[in-house]
Amino acid sequence: MRASAVIAAPMVAAAMAATAQEPDLDAMTVDELLPLAQEEGQVVVYSFTSRIFRVETAFEEQYEGIDVVPFDISSTEQIARLRAERQAGITNADVIYISDAPVVFGELLAEGAIVRYVPPRVADRVPAAFQSPLLAQRQSTKVLMYNEEAHPDGAPVANLWELTTDDWRGRVVMVDPLQRGDYLDLMTEAVLRSDAMAEAYEALHGEPLTLDDGVGSAGEQWIVDLFANDVVLVSNTDAVNVAVGAIGQDSPPVGFTSYSDRRDNEEEGWALQLANDVAPAPGIVFPAVLGVADGAQHPAAARLLIDFLMGDESETGGAGFAPFYVPGDYATRTDIVSHPDAVPLADFRAWRIDPAHTAEIRQEVADLILVLQ
Amino acid sequence: MAIVREQRGLARRAFGPTGRRTTVAPGLILKLVVLALLGVLIFAPLAKTVLETLAADAVGAWGDVLYGRLAPNLFYRPLVNTLVIGVAVAVGTVLIGGFLAGLVVMTDMPFRRTIGLMATLPFMIPSFATALAWGALFRNDRLGGSVGFLEGLGLGIPDWLAWGMVPTLVVLIAHYYSLAFAVIAAALASVNSDLVEAAQLAGARRRRVLFGIVLPVVLPAIVAGASLTFAGGVSNFATPALLGLPVRMQTLATRLFGMIETGQVERGYVIALLLIAVSALFLWLGNRLVAGRRSFATITGKGGRTKRFALGAARWPLFAVALLICLATTVVPIVVLIASSLAPSSAQLFSNWTLHYWAGASNAAIAQGQAGIVHNADFLSATGTTVGLGLVVAVTGSLLGLVIAYAIARYRGGALTATIAQVSFVPLLVPGIAFGAAYIALFGAPIGPFPALYGTFLLLVIAATAYLVPFSVQSGRAVIQQVSGDLEESARLTGAGFLRRMAEITVPLAIRGLMAGAILIFVKIVRDLSLVVLLFTPVTPLLSVVAYRYASEGFMQFAHAITVVILAISIGATLLANRLQARSQPWMQP
Repeated sequence: MRASAVIAAPMVAAAMAATAQEPDLDAMTVDELLPLAQEEGQVVVYSFTSRIFRVETAFEEQYEGIDVVPFDISSTEQIARLRAERQAGITNADVIYISDAPVVFGELLAEGAIVRYVPPRVADRVPAAFQSPLLAQRQSTKVLMYNEEAHPDGAPVANLWELTTDDWRGRVVMVDPLQRGDYLDLMTEAVLRSDAMAEAYEALHGEPLTLDDGVGSAGEQWIVDLFANDVVLVSNTDAVNVAVGAIGQDSPPVGFTSYSDRRDNEEEGWALQLANDVAPAPGIVFPAVLGVADGAQHPAAARLLIDFLMGDESETGGAGFAPFYVPGDYATRTDIVSHPDAVPLADFRAWRIDPAHTAEIRQEVADLILVLQ
Repeated sequence: MAIVREQRGLARRAFGPTGRRTTVAPGLILKLVVLALLGVLIFAPLAKTVLETLAADAVGAWGDVLYGRLAPNLFYRPLVNTLVIGVAVAVGTVLIGGFLAGLVVMTDMPFRRTIGLMATLPFMIPSFATALAWGALFRNDRLGGSVGFLEGLGLGIPDWLAWGMVPTLVVLIAHYYSLAFAVIAAALASVNSDLVEAAQLAGARRRRVLFGIVLPVVLPAIVAGASLTFAGGVSNFATPALLGLPVRMQTLATRLFGMIETGQVERGYVIALLLIAVSALFLWLGNRLVAGRRSFATITGKGGRTKRFALGAARWPLFAVALLICLATTVVPIVVLIASSLAPSSAQLFSNWTLHYWAGASNAAIAQGQAGIVHNADFLSATGTTVGLGLVVAVTGSLLGLVIAYAIARYRGGALTATIAQVSFVPLLVPGIAFGAAYIALFGAPIGPFPALYGTFLLLVIAATAYLVPFSVQSGRAVIQQVSGDLEESARLTGAGFLRRMAEITVPLAIRGLMAGAILIFVKIVRDLSLVVLLFTPVTPLLSVVAYRYASEGFMQFAHAITVVILAISIGATLLANRLQARSQPWMQP
C-alpha cells in the first residue's frame, strides 16, 4: 500500500506536467524547440534497431548540447521494459521507436504509455493513415522472394495459391508465425484480404473456392492449405534467406522474408529477388512508429529528435534519415523518393497493413495457426 | 551482510555458548534466513509473474493453455517433447560427464589434465554454435540452401538425423555434459582414499569398490548434475528452435518465446509457470531417489590423496574414446564459431575468409560500412563491464550459494529444506525477460529508505546473483555435503560462530566445488543476454548486448566475433582458476 502511494505520486506529477506542456510543444517549430531542448540537454531513445547509433552521431553533430542516449532493444523487450518501468513509477525513455505496431497500438498506446507526436514541419507530407494513432516513420516488408539465379526469367510463382499445390509441397520457407510477430501480421493480412484471396483462387483454378468445414474465409483457407502443403518453418529470417537465396541451387524453395535483405545478396552469396507480380499481392508492408513516452523528462528534445528522424528537406531525407534510406524500406514521407535500387513504392504491390485492423483478428489467426501445427 | 550478522547473533542465542540445543531446532533459524533471502530474490519476482497471469483480462490464458482446442499444440505436445529432452539430456550428460570425470579423477589414463580441461569447455560454447556445427555436417535439403558436409559427399541424410529430436538431443548433451562433469569431478576428487584402500585391503573387487563406495558417495553430485542439466535442457531455446522448427517440433521453451514475441504475453507466462511446476515435480522425484540415504562425510580431519585405479591395457583405448568425445564437442563447434566470424557468406563458412569483421576499417562495400569490432567504441568498455560483472557475481553468487547449500546439506530433511532446494532451482526455468521485467517493477522504485536501483550496476549484480543461484547452490551442495560435520562441531564446541566456522572450516574445505561453481556463474553471466537485456543501460554496456545489437541488424559475423571473444574470456577464466587451485586439484596432479 505504502509502496504504491510512493510510486503513484511522481507518476501523477509527471502526467500533469506532461499534459500542461504538450499542447505548446506539439505546435512548436524546430527553432522554437531547440533552445528548450538544449536546456534539457539530453534525450533518451528506445529503438528497435541499432541504426539509432548512427542517428545519435548525426543528431549530435547538427544540434550541439543535446546528448542522445540510445538503447537498442527489440520491440517485445521495449514493451516489457516500458510496462515494468511504469509499474515502478520510472520514466526513463523520451522517444520510443518501435516496430510490431499491432501490439504497440493494442498495449502501449491503450495503456497510455506512449503519446502521439507529429512534427508540424512534415505533417503535410505524411499521409493521414501514417499519422494516426502514432506517427509512422518508414515501412518495412515481409514479402515472397525467389532465387533469381535459378529463375532468371522472373518469379516461378504467379499466384499465392500455387504455394498450396503439389509443385511447392515442402518448398515454401518462412519463419514460424508464432515465433515472430511480423510473420503473424502477414498471415493476418491474408485473412483480412480474403476477397482478394478468393479472387486469386478463381483466377488460378478457374472455379470458385470452396471452404473446408470450420474455415471462415479464403485467407484462412489459404493458411490451412499452406500448412497442409508442408510449409517449412524456421526460426529467423536469415534462415529463410539462405534457404531461398543461396546461389548454386538447382531447385531452390521460395520464401517470405524482408525485401531489404536483398541488399546483402552480393556479400552473402544470395540471389534473392522480389516476386512483385504474384497475385493477389506478394506480402505486406508494415510501419515502424515513433512516439513520445508518457511523462518524458525531456519533452522538447524528444520532439526535436523525432523531427530529425523524419528526415530533412532533401529528397533522400538527409543525415537523420540516412540510416533508413536503404533499398526495400520505404519512407512514409511522400516527398522522400524511393531508393533507386528497389521497386518504387508506387509500383510495389504488397498490402499495406492497418495495424489497428490487424490487432482485431490477430489473436484468432494465431490460434488457427496453433491448431494447424 | 547485516542479515548474516544478525543470523549469527540469533544462532548464538539459540544454541547458547556451548552449542547445546535450546528450544529451537538446529538450523531452523539459518533455514528461515535463507528462505527469506530466496523469498526476496526469487520468490517475489516469480510471484509478480504469477499475479500478472491472474489479472482479470489475463486469467483466461490458463484455460487456453490447459484445456480446449488449443491446448494440445500450445502445451501438451511441447510438454512431451520438453520432458523427453529433459530426461534424455539428464541421463546422457550424467553418463558422459560421469564417465569422463571418473577417468580423469580416478584412473591413470594418460593426458588426464588435457581431457579434464577440454571437458569443461562445451558449456562455454553457446549451444547455437554447436547446433550450427551439426547443421554444417548433417544438414539435408529439407530447407534448401546449401547442404551439409555429409550430404555433400553424396550420403543421403534422412530428416530424422538432420532435424528434430535426435539432433536436438545430441547437441544438448554435447553442450551440457560439462556441467555434469564439473560437479561430479569435484565430488569424486574428494572421495577419501582411506575408504577405497580399506575396501581393497578387505579384498573387494574393483567393481565392488566402484558401486559400493564411490558411487554412493558421489550420488548427491550425480543428482545435482542431472538436475542442472535437466533444467538446462528443458529451458534451452536456441537448439530446438534451430533444429526442431523445420520439422515443426516445438518445446515449451520455443512456445514460450514465441508467445512473448507475438504479444501473447500472458499465455507465455502461464507456459513458463507450468514449465516451472512440471520441472519442480521431476526434480523433486529425482531428489526423492537419494532422500533417505545418509550423506557421506568424506572430507574428514584426516587427509588422504585419491587412490587411482590402474587401467592397464585399457589406458589408451579409453583415452581415445575420451579424446573423441572432447574433440567432437569442443573443437568442431569452436571451429564453426570462428569460421562464422570470418566468412562473408553464412552459406559457405569455409570460403573467402576475411578479418574485416574483427579489425577491418569501415568499407562501404562490406556490411554497409560497419567497421570491425575492435573499432567499436563500446566494445572495450563492454568487455570491462562484462568481466567486472562476471567477477562480482561469481563472488556474490558463490557466497549466497554456499549459505544456501550449507542450510540444505547440513540440516537435511523437513519441509523447509525441501522448499529451499526447490526454490533455489526456479530461476533456471524462468524466462530471463520475465525475471528482468519483474526486477524493474519490484526494485526499480525506491523502497523505504533504499534508493531506486534502476539503471545501476547494483541492480544488475543482484538480479544476476539471484538468477544464477541454481548453479552456485548445486555445485556448493555437492561438495559441502561431504565436508564432515565433525570438524565443524568441534569448532562450534570451542565457541566459534557461524561466520567463523564458515570462513575457517567449511569454505577452505569446499573451495574446490565453490571454484567450479564460481566459474560456471562467471561463464553464464558473460554470455547471457536474456536477463540483462531489460536491465542494462548505455552506461553499462555488456558484450552480449553489443553482440545482440549486431545480430539485430543482420551483421551476424560481427555478432559471432563477439561470441568468440566471450568464449575466449570464459576459457581464460577457467585456465586462471585452474592455476589458482592447482594445488587443491588432485586430479590435475600427475
